[in-house]
Order: sequence, then structure tokens, then C-alpha cells
Amino acid sequence: MIAGALFYYQRHWWFNRLLTRLRRLRQPKYLFGAIVGGIYFYWYFFRTLGRGGRSAGIALDYQDVAQGIASLLLLVAVLLAWILPQSRAALSFSEAEVAFLFPAPIGRKTLIHFKLLKSQTVILFSAIFVTLIGRRWNGGDFLLRALGWWIIFATLNLHSLGCSFARTKLMDRGLSNWLRCILILAAVGLVVAGIVLWVRYTLPLPPAMEGNPDLAQLGRYANDVLHSGPIPWLLLPFRLVIAPCLAPSAGQFLLALGPALAVMALLYWWVIHSNVAFEEASVELSRKTAERVAAVRSGNWQTARKPKKPGRSPFRLRPTGLPAVALVWKNLTSAGRLVTTRAWIFLIWIVIFAGFALHSQTRQAGGVGAGLAFFALMLAAFSLFWGPQMLRNDLRQDLPATDVLKMFPMPGWQVVLGEVLAPAAILAAVQWLLLLAGWILFPDQFNGHSITLGQRTCFAVAAAIVLPCVDLIALLIPNAAVLFFPAWFQLGKDGPRGFETTGQQLILMFGQLLVLALSLLPAAAVFAIILLLTSRLVPAAPGVLLGGVPAAALLLVEAGFGIRLLGLVFERFDLSAEILIQG
Amino acid sequence: MFRCMETAPPVIAQAAAPALIEVEGLTKLYGDFPAVTDLSFAVRPGEVIGLVGPNGAGKTTTLRCLAGIIPATRGSVRICGRDLATQPIEAKRRLAFFSDEPRLFDYLTVEQHLNFTARIYGVSNYREIARPLLEELEMADKTDKLPGELSRGMKQKLAIACGLLHSPEVIFFDEPLTGLDPIGIRRMKDSILKRSRAGAAILISSHLLHLLEEVCSHVLILKNGRKIVDGSLGEVRQRFSEQSGDTSFEDAFFRATGESKDAP
Repeated sequence: MIAGALFYYQRHWWFNRLLTRLRRLRQPKYLFGAIVGGIYFYWYFFRTLGRGGRSAGIALDYQDVAQGIASLLLLVAVLLAWILPQSRAALSFSEAEVAFLFPAPIGRKTLIHFKLLKSQTVILFSAIFVTLIGRRWNGGDFLLRALGWWIIFATLNLHSLGCSFARTKLMDRGLSNWLRCILILAAVGLVVAGIVLWVRYTLPLPPAMEGNPDLAQLGRYANDVLHSGPIPWLLLPFRLVIAPCLAPSAGQFLLALGPALAVMALLYWWVIHSNVAFEEASVELSRKTAERVAAVRSGNWQTARKPKKPGRSPFRLRPTGLPAVALVWKNLTSAGRLVTTRAWIFLIWIVIFAGFALHSQTRQAGGVGAGLAFFALMLAAFSLFWGPQMLRNDLRQDLPATDVLKMFPMPGWQVVLGEVLAPAAILAAVQWLLLLAGWILFPDQFNGHSITLGQRTCFAVAAAIVLPCVDLIALLIPNAAVLFFPAWFQLGKDGPRGFETTGQQLILMFGQLLVLALSLLPAAAVFAIILLLTSRLVPAAPGVLLGGVPAAALLLVEAGFGIRLLGLVFERFDLSAEILIQG
Repeated sequence: MFRCMETAPPVIAQAAAPALIEVEGLTKLYGDFPAVTDLSFAVRPGEVIGLVGPNGAGKTTTLRCLAGIIPATRGSVRICGRDLATQPIEAKRRLAFFSDEPRLFDYLTVEQHLNFTARIYGVSNYREIARPLLEELEMADKTDKLPGELSRGMKQKLAIACGLLHSPEVIFFDEPLTGLDPIGIRRMKDSILKRSRAGAAILISSHLLHLLEEVCSHVLILKNGRKIVDGSLGEVRQRFSEQSGDTSFEDAFFRATGESKDAP
């Protein structure tokens, strides 16, 4: 009867979820997202489904080695489950499940069964996903591979559950987490030492590693090690679990299926017969999970990672003055302890000292310093793309608190300016640090050309002037997207999920890149014209600097217009149009 | 502010004084759905008006429109004579809005919240105001705590301290007693009465009719986004007394909204 009720709940949960998503497609923003997401998934995953995969599978020569290595990886995963977790056993339930199921007349075993059955959906999707990804190199029959992966994930899930129960029992008997870790690591160390000694004294030496080692020879040696002495016995249960996934044919899959299911059955028996109380920890876990999910779905990643310690104020905030500065101060404080004057002075000193220490190696393009210089400059260039995506302590972070921002007695342009300046300042500081490293470490000779200190300085200063202005534009674009398409930023507890969201994110990403490119066009044109005009009068390096200054000024003007425009949009911004606020 | 329960009756409004909250023809549509329709009323200094109605009556929407959080579709709202649509900054400088759930920034400490609020409202002497306020709220030893380390009641107190830092003339409360313990409830009532005596115009949205009877001088009953009745508590009681003479406000509310008192 209880099982029927739980099955009823699960069935309708999925059905209603699907129905909600289908209904949502009536809105163009979800429909377009679904189309783009569908095309993306088809192109990336499903296009080759009917063609039997891109590869025929792992070569027979390496089949045994692959199985051995996979077994080792599985062993490591199992060991980590015993070493890493510190908390008591807790089954993850939603808050509603806790509210309805825990006080209900349902036995502990039924709750575990429900949890195990519920987790099968995620395991099944993960198995399909990994199979689709793995088809690029693993090939084989799709259904058999997916079933193989399902066995691996389901076994790991059962082990993780049983392990959490066992850990809790040990804690209840007075064995602390530290002592447990030390004992397990000591046991692992002893086993590894024993195996190394055994291999050292019973097997011939490994093939020479110098030059180009023969891969087949190395593979054979690894195979010998994995099939000699105690190792096969140690890895046996893991090999049994992995065998169906790596089976080259349907017949071998069926042969491997029995032992794998037997391991699963053993683990299932262990889980069901572990008499450990998990309810209290589960209630706490469900509360934390609900808070985190709500925060993430509302786009508030900062809240999802609740600060444990107060952040140090980046500067002293005076009680009077431009109110927008308060928002900059707030968002810099939210960025954490790294955004303090002391931290940045420390970083600058490190770059300067390390840079000059490596300076002797920068004279030749092949030195470590030169490599670091190119890496730093490459990072600075790429930061224009990853920076605005990573640094989200602006309107994207504050969107759930829009009603608070709307109450502030300040014009909209100040709100937008205050919100955007904090990530822009952090990004500019990172870029300046990278430019400083590049400036110090750049080689004197590059590609046969001599690069003087003056030239380096001109390029570095031009970049240091232009980059923050580009940052401002690059950050305004996602903030504009928040104000124009707030629902696309997953507002509210019932924010969208699924492949239509992937489609939306792809549309947003390409849209942002397109708008950024268009925004940079006028400044790029001004830069090019000035560089052309001054090319006969001054050398290239000062020309870059001369062109960079007006280009930066133009970008600032653009950013100013953008902030004004977004300010007006913010003032008219009606969140209630997107989320039905209870009246 | 929060010390003792003051059992004095609600303040008698300064009838001659100009209204601090003036609402005319306020209408708010969500798409085609009218959440609030053609609402008009005024609140004078010292008046405490209770906004009451069944679920979905439009109380929270009305409060959010009055606080400038969401724009009204039609109609006008004036706060201390400043039009909320055309002079939003001047109007917002004079109001405070306390939602049922305290809205705080997770990464700012108590002290940082006050500092931040002071800069937003330009309160130059905020330390002089904040220190006694924190002591009175029993939060003086929690200035370096993050909201995550505070109880719900403490969070509520912090929200109140931030909201009162700029001495607002107009205060909106949305379900102010939600989640408070008995001591917190008593102190909240005291606080409301104290602010009204100081001349603030206060609007409280609540389902707790006994709270409204205790602290409000006036009430406004909403249903389906429309005003059913407004006036002083006595007037509303009298209007729905059905000639019995001593109708409670609860009875008047049920008669006004046409709802049944009996349990299903």
C-alpha cells in the first residue's frame, strides 16, 4: 500500500514536471531555447546514434589493461567514500518529502527503498549521458553500454549509501573522522607497499622509458602487473562491476552481467540491513539543499555558497557622498577577502619580485619567463570573455533583491553604475596584474625582432587603458540582458531547467558576443584610423598608445550611454511582469 | 523604542495636517489580471492604517506599488507631497518598507548593513543614531555577525534598524509579526505606536485582525483588488454593526468581505 503511494507520487511528479515543461513551450523564449537546445544536443550527441558510434570500441590489445585501470579508478572512488566525508548518514529528500513521508507511518526500509528507486532516474540519465559522450571513443552497442554504465553508477550509489551508514556506526562507537581516515590510509599504504615489493621482486623490470617507449610493450607490462600476485584478487569485485560496460559483444555482456548483479545484490543487502538512524541528518540536509537550490535557481550563486566569515571592507565607506559608491563597496565586500588593498599589494609584490627574478630568462623567447609572459598576456586577452561570465557580483547577483534596490532613493543610472563597477574594477585589477607580469617577463627578442623596453611599455600602457573600458562594455551586456530578459536568468524557486535552458544559455552567449563585437567596432575603427595616420610620423608602439587613448575614450562614452539607458530601463523595470507576486 | 508595551489607544490623527500618503485611482495589472483596481485613500501624520483583506485581495501589491518597488499601471501615489512616479528619489527618501521576510545581504555584517544604508540615504550621523538603536534592539554585541548567524527575530530587528536609520516619515509594514516571538510581537507593536506618535504615517498589511485593532486608528478593507470600505476603526465597526451596537472588528470584516466565519 505504502509502496503504491510512493510509486503514485513519483509517477505523477515526473508526469507533472514534463507537462509543465511542455506548457512552458507556449512562451517564445522557451520555445526558441528548446529549438536551439535541441539542435545543439542533436548535433553533439544524437547525430551519430544510428551509425553505431564513431569508433568500434577499445582495441582488443588494450581491453584487459583498460579494465584493470578502470577497476583501479573504481577502487579509488570507493576508498574516497570511506576517507573524505565527515558528516553522518543522510539520505537526501526534498523538503516536501521530509514533511510528508517522515511523520507518515512508513518504515525505515521503505524510505531507503524509495530513495534508492528515486535515485535510479538520475543514475539512468547519467548513464545515458556518459554513454553518449563515451561513444566518441568507446563505440559499441548503445543499449549495452548504457546498461553497463547504469550498473557502475548504481553500484557506486549503493556503496556510497552503505558506506555512509557504516561511517555513522563507527562515529557512534567513538571512532573520530580523523582516526578513521588515518587507519584507512595506513591500511592502504601497507597494501600498496606490499604490492610494490611483490612486483619488484617477482616481475621483470619495466621497459626503458627513455626516448619513444613502445606503447604496446608498456601495455603488456601493465597487464602483467595487473594480472599477477594479489592484485587480481584485490581488483576482482571492481572488475566484475566494470566488465559489462567494457564487454565487446552482447554475449560477453550477458556473461558479465550475472557477477555484476551479484555484487549489487550484496551491497543492497548491506544497505538494507544497516541499522542506522538517518532521519535527523536527512532533515537538515533537505533544508540546506532546498536553500541552495532556491539560491542557484534564482541566479544567486553567492547565496548558494553562504559566507562563513565576514568579508573585510575593501575601503572605508563614508556615510555621505554618491550613493552608487555604496553599491560598489557592497559588491566588492561580497567578492570576499581577496578584494582588499592588502591582498592586491601582496600580489603586485609577488609579480614584481618573481618577474625580476625570472628576468634573466626572458632574453630568449624559449625561457620559462617568456613562457609565463605569453601565458599572462593570453589570460589577459581571454579575460575579456571569461571575466564577465565569472564575475557576477552585479545585477545578476542582486536580481533576487531587486525590490530592495528599487526602494533606494537613487536614480536608475546610479544603481546600474554601482552594480557594474565592482566586477569591472576586479577584472581590470586582474588584467593589470597580468599585464604587469607580461611587461616584466616579455623577452627582448621575439620572432627575430628586437622588442625594446619603450615598445613594451607603450603596448602595456595602451592595453592597460583600453582593457578596463572594454570590461565595462562587456559587463554591461549581461546586465542589460538581466533587465531585458530577467526570466532567462532563472528567477524564482521554479526557474526553468532542462535542455531549453541550455538553448537559452547558448542564445544569450552568442547574443552577448555579437553585441560586444558590434560595440567594439567604432572604437576599433578609430584606433585603426589613428594608427594609419600616425604610421608615417611615429613608430608602431607609440602609435598604438596614441590610438588606444581615443579608442578608450569612445568606449567610455559608449559605456556612459549604456549606463544611462539601462538606468532608465531599471527605473521602469517591473519584476512583477515576470514573476507573479502574490497580492 | 522597543522597551515596554504601551497600552495607549491608537493615536488621534492630526486632521488638519496634510496627508503624508495620498493614493488616487491606483490600478495595477499583471498582464490582463487586475491585482488592484482604482484604489484611493490618504494617510495623515500620526495615523496608523490597517490594510486588510482575504488572500489575493491585493494587499502586498498595493504596498509594493506605494513603496515604489513595482510601478503602478494607472493612478498616482504621493509620499509627503512628492509624486512617486515623477519624483521617485525625493519620495523614497521619506519612506521605509518592511517586508514580511527581512531582506538582507548575506555577505554584509550588521555593522556593514548600517554603514551601507547610511550611505544610500546620506545619513551623516548614522553612528550616533545606530549605536543607541542597536543597544535598544539588543544587538550591540552582534555588529560583526553575518545575517546567516542571526536568528529570524534578530534579522527582523536588523531590517528595522536599517529602515529607521533615516527617520522615515512614511512607513509600510507587510505582515510585521510574522515569525516573531511574544516579546518580539510586543516590541513591534510598541515600535509602531511610538513612530505614529512621532508623527509618522504608517500603513500595515496584516491578516491579524486583533493586531490591527490594537495599533491602528484606521482600516482599509480590500477584496479582489477593490476597496470595500475605509475609515476609522469605529466608523467601520459601526457601518457593519447590523444595528446590534457592539460589533467586533472581526465581525465587521467578515460582513464587509462577505466571508463566512464558520470553519469548513
